[in-house]
Amino acid sequence: MLKWFEQIEKENSNIVYSKVRLARNWSEYVFPFRLSPEKSGEMLSRLAEGLKDLGAEEERDYEYARLEELTELDRRALKERRILNSSILERKAPMSLLITREEDISVIMNGADHIRIQVLLPGLHLAKALKTANRIDDYINARFTYAFDEKYGYLTSFPTNMGTGLRATAVVHLPSLSMGKKFPAMLNDMGRFGVCIRGVYGEGRENYGDLYEISNQKTLGRTEKELTDLVNKVALQLNDQENQIREMSLKGHRLVREDEVYKSYGVLKYARRLSMKDAMTFLSQIMSGVCDGLVKLEDPCPVFRLMLGIQTANLQKLSDRPLGKEELDMARAAYLRSELPGLVSP
Amino acid sequence: MLCERCKIREANIQYTEVINGVKTEHNFCAQCAREMDFGQYSAIFDGGFPLAQLLSGLLGGEAPVQKKGNLNQIACPSCGTTYEEFVRNSCFGCADCYSVFDLLIQDNIRQLQGSDCHKGKRPVYQKLSGEEETRAETEAGDNVQRSTAEDEIRMWDRKLKEALRMEEYETAAVCRDRIRALREGKEADA
Repeated sequence: MLKWFEQIEKENSNIVYSKVRLARNWSEYVFPFRLSPEKSGEMLSRLAEGLKDLGAEEERDYEYARLEELTELDRRALKERRILNSSILERKAPMSLLITREEDISVIMNGADHIRIQVLLPGLHLAKALKTANRIDDYINARFTYAFDEKYGYLTSFPTNMGTGLRATAVVHLPSLSMGKKFPAMLNDMGRFGVCIRGVYGEGRENYGDLYEISNQKTLGRTEKELTDLVNKVALQLNDQENQIREMSLKGHRLVREDEVYKSYGVLKYARRLSMKDAMTFLSQIMSGVCDGLVKLEDPCPVFRLMLGIQTANLQKLSDRPLGKEELDMARAAYLRSELPGLVSP
Repeated sequence: MLCERCKIREANIQYTEVINGVKTEHNFCAQCAREMDFGQYSAIFDGGFPLAQLLSGLLGGEAPVQKKGNLNQIACPSCGTTYEEFVRNSCFGCADCYSVFDLLIQDNIRQLQGSDCHKGKRPVYQKLSGEEETRAETEAGDNVQRSTAEDEIRMWDRKLKEALRMEEYETAAVCRDRIRALREGKEADA
């Protein structure tokens, strides 16, 4: 059973994955931040009871877990795999998670809102992700009435989610575009179109791996389709611009590009210690190299899967004891030596 | 905690100083902080509120303490969230908060979201007041189209009422004609 991030996209594109999230609240309870632990527990059991047949209905295998019963490490690993966000990780209240084996569909209960439905898909498939999310939404709505207002739409804890409750996200790999001088200014300008763009990994101004997350800023006054179309359009536009620059550099400096990709491969395949920054930087090279056809992996594997694999919590999970910083760098290198597929000789 | 400088007002600014690795913490009120010299950071206090409350400040409009003293006491009867708490955390406590604070926040919502009227999906099942659960219209495609037309009618209707209130009769007439046209269009569709 392959997880969503292990599945291969047929089309070569810089768009790594799409995510759709719907925020909903059950009309019978006050919002999570005001809900007492007892009431939270009661609501979670009622939700779990009401949604127990979701898997059978969808013909999918769902797993159910109370988040407080998972270990800290498991929760952090779920965050790395894009299931939980950092505010959920810090939240102390009772919460639960309903998730498919493939981890593409998940429902978080009693997080910032009572119900948050999330669908993840490799590549750019926002419309498809929205359709799936809507189906789950209708299933839940048939059992629990939502807090909804004629004027303000779906009511959510934060005013930044009210209306559709929808956050549509596309993650794009922009190694060349982001090197441009005007790139930071362009990111700021994107706000005017109603989307915000931010780096996925790294701190401050650095962004290891050159992955950028595009999502809709506003949630009220536009239909779900308008919002996903907007993110879709911006993602395609950025993808296209990135391709143009890469084509130009391939025409003029093919050897330089090839050299960079092969050197990166060499380091990843043979290094004994790799910091997060180095590993992400070299994987980013491989990602664009595969996309441009400069290298071909023997056993096709999404490079993004490796990027998820080398994150701290995942490496800790693979090891049977807690790792120090040095040991983590060693574990990261060992992971890549074994997981990075061989190259098809040109 | 009281401000350690004036010892009168409540301290709401925490100032951490690190000199040669020695960390000292101070608590000041906004007024004292303004009067003191924090070098490059002084500008933060001139605006009247700390950076962390920037978003909250925007949501609440003007700095709440100075002007809206009595409004801060407004509380949602269902969950107990006060207006002041809402402004501070930028977070609603329950569904009823929306109607309780509606008048206070609608302008800011419009600024934040660029709109104040929901378009798009509506719950298929919704409890109508005092009635049994009912299933809204079926056939998704049709439903979407109809609801956008209805949204538009609602929007023009609101504009119409607003115009009448402001005694802007020309605008009102335009709104009335738009609504009429939309209603006719809807009937023609049906």
